[in-house]
Amino acid sequence: MIKILLRYTNLLVLTLLVVVIFSFALAYLFPGEPYTNLTGVIDEQAAAAHQNLSVTSAFWQYLGNIFAGDWGLSLMTGQSLADEIAITLPATLELSLYALAFALLVGLPIGFWAGLKPHKGIDYSVLGASAVMHSFPVFWLAMLLVLIFSLQFGWLPMSGRLNLLMDVPNVSGFIFVDIFLADNIDRSQAAWDAVKHLALPTFCVSIITMATIIRAVRRSTLEVMHKPFIIAAQSRGLSNAQIFFKHGFRNALLPILPILAMQVTTIITNVMIVESIFSWPGIGNWLLQAIYQQDYPAIRAGMLAVAGAVIVVTILIELFNRIIDPSREKFEDVTF
Amino acid sequence: MINGLRFFAFVVVSATISACSPVSNSDIKVNGLVFCSESNPSSFNPQLDTSGTTADASAHQIYDRLLDFDTESGNIVPGLADSWLVSGDGLVYTFQLKRRVAFHTTPYFTPTRTFNADDVLFSINRWRQVEHPYHKVSGGFYPYFQSLDLADNIVAVKRINGYRVEIHLAQPDSSFLANLATDFAVVLSAEYGQQLIEQGTPSAIDNRPIGTGPYKFVEYRPNHFIRFERHDDYWRGKVNQAQLVFDITPRSALRLAKLITGECDISVFPAQSELDVIRDNRDLELLEKPGLNVGFWAFNTQKPPFDNPDVRRALAMAIDKNTLLDTVYFDSARRATSLLPPSSWAHQSNADDINYNPVQARRLLQASGIEPGFEMTLWAMPVQRAYNPNAMKMARLMQSYLKDVGVEATIVSYDWTTFRNNLQQGLHDSVLIGWSADNVDPDNFYRPLLTCSAIPTGTNRAMWCNPAYDELIEQALLVNDTERRKQIYAQANRMLYEQMPLMPIAHAFRFQAQRNNVNNLTINTYGGVRLGGVVKQYD
Amino acid sequence: MSRFNLYIDEQHPSPWQQTWREFKRSHVAMAGIIMLGFFTVVALFGPLIAPYDPLLQNTDTTLIPPSWDPSGTVRYVLGTDALGRDLFSRLIHASQVTFGTSVMLVMVAMLVGVAIGVMAGMSYGVRASIINHLLDALMVIPTLLLAIIIVAIVGTGLVNSMWAITLALIPHFVHHTRNTVRELMKKEFILATKLDGASKPHIFIYSLLPNMIEMLVVQGTIALSIAILDITALGFLNLGAQGSTIELGAMLAESLNVVYIAPWNIALPGLTIFLMVFSVNVVGDGLRAALNRRLRH
Repeated sequence: MIKILLRYTNLLVLTLLVVVIFSFALAYLFPGEPYTNLTGVIDEQAAAAHQNLSVTSAFWQYLGNIFAGDWGLSLMTGQSLADEIAITLPATLELSLYALAFALLVGLPIGFWAGLKPHKGIDYSVLGASAVMHSFPVFWLAMLLVLIFSLQFGWLPMSGRLNLLMDVPNVSGFIFVDIFLADNIDRSQAAWDAVKHLALPTFCVSIITMATIIRAVRRSTLEVMHKPFIIAAQSRGLSNAQIFFKHGFRNALLPILPILAMQVTTIITNVMIVESIFSWPGIGNWLLQAIYQQDYPAIRAGMLAVAGAVIVVTILIELFNRIIDPSREKFEDVTF
Repeated sequence: MINGLRFFAFVVVSATISACSPVSNSDIKVNGLVFCSESNPSSFNPQLDTSGTTADASAHQIYDRLLDFDTESGNIVPGLADSWLVSGDGLVYTFQLKRRVAFHTTPYFTPTRTFNADDVLFSINRWRQVEHPYHKVSGGFYPYFQSLDLADNIVAVKRINGYRVEIHLAQPDSSFLANLATDFAVVLSAEYGQQLIEQGTPSAIDNRPIGTGPYKFVEYRPNHFIRFERHDDYWRGKVNQAQLVFDITPRSALRLAKLITGECDISVFPAQSELDVIRDNRDLELLEKPGLNVGFWAFNTQKPPFDNPDVRRALAMAIDKNTLLDTVYFDSARRATSLLPPSSWAHQSNADDINYNPVQARRLLQASGIEPGFEMTLWAMPVQRAYNPNAMKMARLMQSYLKDVGVEATIVSYDWTTFRNNLQQGLHDSVLIGWSADNVDPDNFYRPLLTCSAIPTGTNRAMWCNPAYDELIEQALLVNDTERRKQIYAQANRMLYEQMPLMPIAHAFRFQAQRNNVNNLTINTYGGVRLGGVVKQYD
Repeated sequence: MSRFNLYIDEQHPSPWQQTWREFKRSHVAMAGIIMLGFFTVVALFGPLIAPYDPLLQNTDTTLIPPSWDPSGTVRYVLGTDALGRDLFSRLIHASQVTFGTSVMLVMVAMLVGVAIGVMAGMSYGVRASIINHLLDALMVIPTLLLAIIIVAIVGTGLVNSMWAITLALIPHFVHHTRNTVRELMKKEFILATKLDGASKPHIFIYSLLPNMIEMLVVQGTIALSIAILDITALGFLNLGAQGSTIELGAMLAESLNVVYIAPWNIALPGLTIFLMVFSVNVVGDGLRAALNRRLRH
C-alpha cells in the first residue's frame, strides 16, 4: 500500500514538474520579454538583469516564486494572477464536478439497464440516443438550451453563477460553501438561485460525458454477463437481478474508472468552452479574455493551473482505481 | 431530413418569438439595479480617459462635477457649485460651493470632513500642474484636458475661502464652463489623496475611488462585473436602489438576452438589428435620441501614402456611404457631411460632401501612383458605439468597395484596450472609429478630433497636424458672436473636405434598452449614463 | 497471373468483405455512410455545387429567411446572412473547410501516432517508459488549453488551430497502437516470424500492420468526430478560422449577433456540424459492431 502511494506521489510530482518546466519555457516562446511574461511586470532594468541570469537559475527562481504563491501579475488588470486563479479555477472545477456527478447519476443506471437487455428495443433506443448526445457540438447545444429554457420559457437564468445582486463574498470559490458562509443574505433563496444558474451549464456539459458513460457501462455489463462465473450463477438458478447485483455490478464498474480518468480532460475542455456562452466566471472564460488581450503572464499561469488541476484529479482517480482493482498491478509493471 | 431541418428551425424560431414569457429572476426580490455594459473601464477616474465606458462606470455614479448639463436642453446647471460668476473680460470665474456634501465612507476610507474648496483645487491641479504629487500617478495622461490645452489657459486656481474658488484664465474661452460640466471634470477627495500618499499607494485613487456621487464603489472584477452600493448621505437626496451592478457583457446579443430574461434591467448599445425585437417585446422599452456624435473613417496621415490628400480623397470616393447607412445603421442615422451633427447650433447644412464615384477614385489613385493590388489595413473597433454600432460589419462592406478600386484591405481588430493602445502608437493605416461629444460646444468636435495637440492625447486618430486648421479653431474660441463662429467653422469644413484626413460617415441616433419597470432614466446626450435617480419598481 | 484451380472452392470472403457484409445489415449505419459520402462529395467538389460566391455581399438581400418560410425565396434556398451572403453556398464552403481539414489532420495525427506507438510497443525499458510518461502528460492537457497556448505563440488562424488539435489527437493513436502492438507481439505468428530472422521493419509491415488496419479505421472515425467538434469549437471561440476563411464554428459565432432576427443563421450551421459528427459516429459504431460480429462468428 505504501509502495503504491509512494509510486503515485512520485508520478504526481514528476508530472507537475514537467508542467512547471513547460510553463517556464512558454515565457520564452511567447512574444515579448521573458521577464515580463514570467512576472507580469514591465521593467527594462529588471528584464536586463533577468537576461543575465542563466536559464537554470532563472528557473529555480521561478520555481521558488510558484511555490511561494507569487504567480506574477496580470498585464491587463495588474492584479495578482494567483488571486484571480483562486477565484476562477474553483468555478470551473465546481461546474465540472457537478457535470460529472450528473452524468454518472443518469448514465450508470441507463447503461446497466441497456446492458442487461442487450439487442432489444430498449437497448437500441438507448444506443441511438447516446449516439445523438455524443454528436452535439457543446456550444451549439448550449445556445439551444439558452434559447429554449431561458428565452422561450423563462424558467432558468442564462448567465453567471448567481444573481449579481446577491453579494456573496468569495471565500472558498465554491458557490454553495460561500453561500453557507455568507451572513448578509437569505441563504436558502441564494442556494435555490445558484441551483437554477447551475442547471443549464451542468446539463449541457454532462450530456456528452453521459453518452460515453452509458456506452462504456453497457459494454462492460454485457461482457461481465457473459463471464463463466455469471453463467455458473445462472445455472444455480439465481434470478438475473440477483446475479447482477451480487456478482456483476462491481465487476462491471471496474472498467469505468479509467474512462472517468480520461473524461476529466473532456469535461474540463467542454466546461471551458461553455463558460463563454453562460458567462460563467471560470478559468476558461478568463483564459479566453487573456488571449484576446494578449495577456501572456495570465496565459502562462492559467495553463499551469488548469494542467495542474487536471493532472491531480486524473492521478487521484488512477490511484483510487489501483487500490480497488489489484489486477492493474501487472499493467503498472509494464508502464512505470 | 427536411423535416428535421424544419423542426430545428421551428424550435429556434419559436424560441425567439417570446414576447410574453414569465421571467425567472423576478421572484428574487433583491433591491438593486443591474446595468449591462459593453466593456471594461480602464480605471474609475474619467479624468484619465475619454472612453465612454470609463465615463459610464464612474462619472455620474461615483462622482459629481462643479457644473452639470441638463440632460434635456443641454443647458449648464449647478452641480457641486451652487452659483458662479464670470468677470466682464471673461477671464475670472468665481464659484460658490455647496456645503455639507459628504464623501463616501467605505472600508478603505472614512472621511473626516465634507466637501470644500480644497477638493476642487486638488482635482483641477492634478491634471493642470505637472509638479502636483498626483499628476504622474496612473500615467500622467489627461487626454480630454490636454487635447484642449486647458492647462495652459488656466493661470491660477485660487481658494478664496472654504466654499469659494476663483479660476483665472489667460485668454477668454467661450467653452470653459461647458468643459467644467463634462464627464471628465470630476471632483476627487483631497483628504483621500492625502491618506493614500501616507499609505504609499497613490494609484489606488483611480482604482478604489472615493467621490460624492450617488453610489460608492465596492468591487470590480474585470470582464465580469462592477459592484456599487448606495451612498446613504447623497446630497441630492435618497438613492432608490441599495445596489448597482454593472454586468460587463461585450456581446450585444447576450445583453439583449439578459434583458429579456430579466438578468439585466438596463442594456447599453443594442445592435441596430435588434431594435425591432425590443420594440415588439412588451416587457422592454427602447429609449431613443438623436446623438451628439459622428462616426468616421480616419486615415493615418503620417504614414505614406496616406499623407497624400489625393489618396485619401480617392479612397473616400470609393465608399458608398448611403449603403453603409442602410446596412450598418439600418437608417437610424443621418449621413454625415462634416464633423458636426445636425443638432448642433453650428451645423452647416450646405457643407461639401464627397460623393461615391469609383471610376474617379480609381483614376485618382492611379494618378497618385497607387497601383492596383495595393494593400492597406482597415482597423475596426471591437466594441459597439452609438456612432458605429457594428464596425466589423462596416469594415467587411468597405473591404468589398475598396476591392472594386483595386485596393486590398485587411481588417484588423483587437480587444478595446489593446486596440486603443495600438492606435495611440500609430500602427494603423486607417481606422473606423468615431466621437461622442462631451458637451454641446462645436469646439468639442473640431479640437479633439483633428488639432495637433490632440495627437499625443489619443483623440486625433488621423494623426493629422495642420497649423492653418489649428489657427482657425483657436480663432473660433475667441469670438463670442455665434454667426461669426459659424463662418469660421464653415471654413474649417471646407479645409477638411479638401484635405480629407477623415471621412465622416454618420451621425447616429442613440439607443438604450431597459425593462419597463425601470423609471426615471433618460439618455444623457452629453456624456455618460446617470443612474442616480433611477427608480426600479417591483411587482 | 491466374492460377489454375483444380477444385472449385467454396469462396471465402476476405475479412474486409465479411465486415462489409455485417456492416450492410445495419440500416442506421448505411444511412450514416450515405451522409458521410455526401459530406465527402461536398468536401471534394463543394465550390462546384455552391450557387453563389460565399463571400459575395449583396446589401439588397440581407437576412432573407429560408425558402420554406413564407417570406423566403427560392433563389436563396437556405436564406442569407447579415451581409446578404447566400447561406447555402456558405454552408457548403464551410463544410468543405471543416470536414476537409478535419480529415487531413486526423490523417497526420494517425501517421505520427502510429509511428510513435509502434516504437513504444516494440521496445521495452527506459525508452518506452519515457515515451509513456510524456504521452500521459500530453494527454491530460485539454485541447482548448493547447490551442490557446499555440495561438498565443504563433497567432490565430485555421492552420494554427489545426496544429493544436493534431497534437491533441496523436496520443490517442499512440495509445491504441501501443496496446495493439503489445498484444500482437505476444502472438505465436510474430514469434515465428522473429525466429525466421525477420527484421523489425519487416515484422511491422507484413505482420503487424495488416492486423492493425481495422483498429485504425475505428479509431480514425472516433478521432474524426473529435476533430470536427474541436475545430468548430475553436472557430466558435475566435481562435481558429479568421476573416474570409469560412468555417462552420466561426460562422456560428458570427451569426450570434443576429440570433433574434435570423435564427436560421444559428440553426443551420449548428445542424450541419451535428449531422457531420453524427454520421461519423454512426459509421464508426456500425464498423465496430460489424467487426465484433465478424470476430464472434
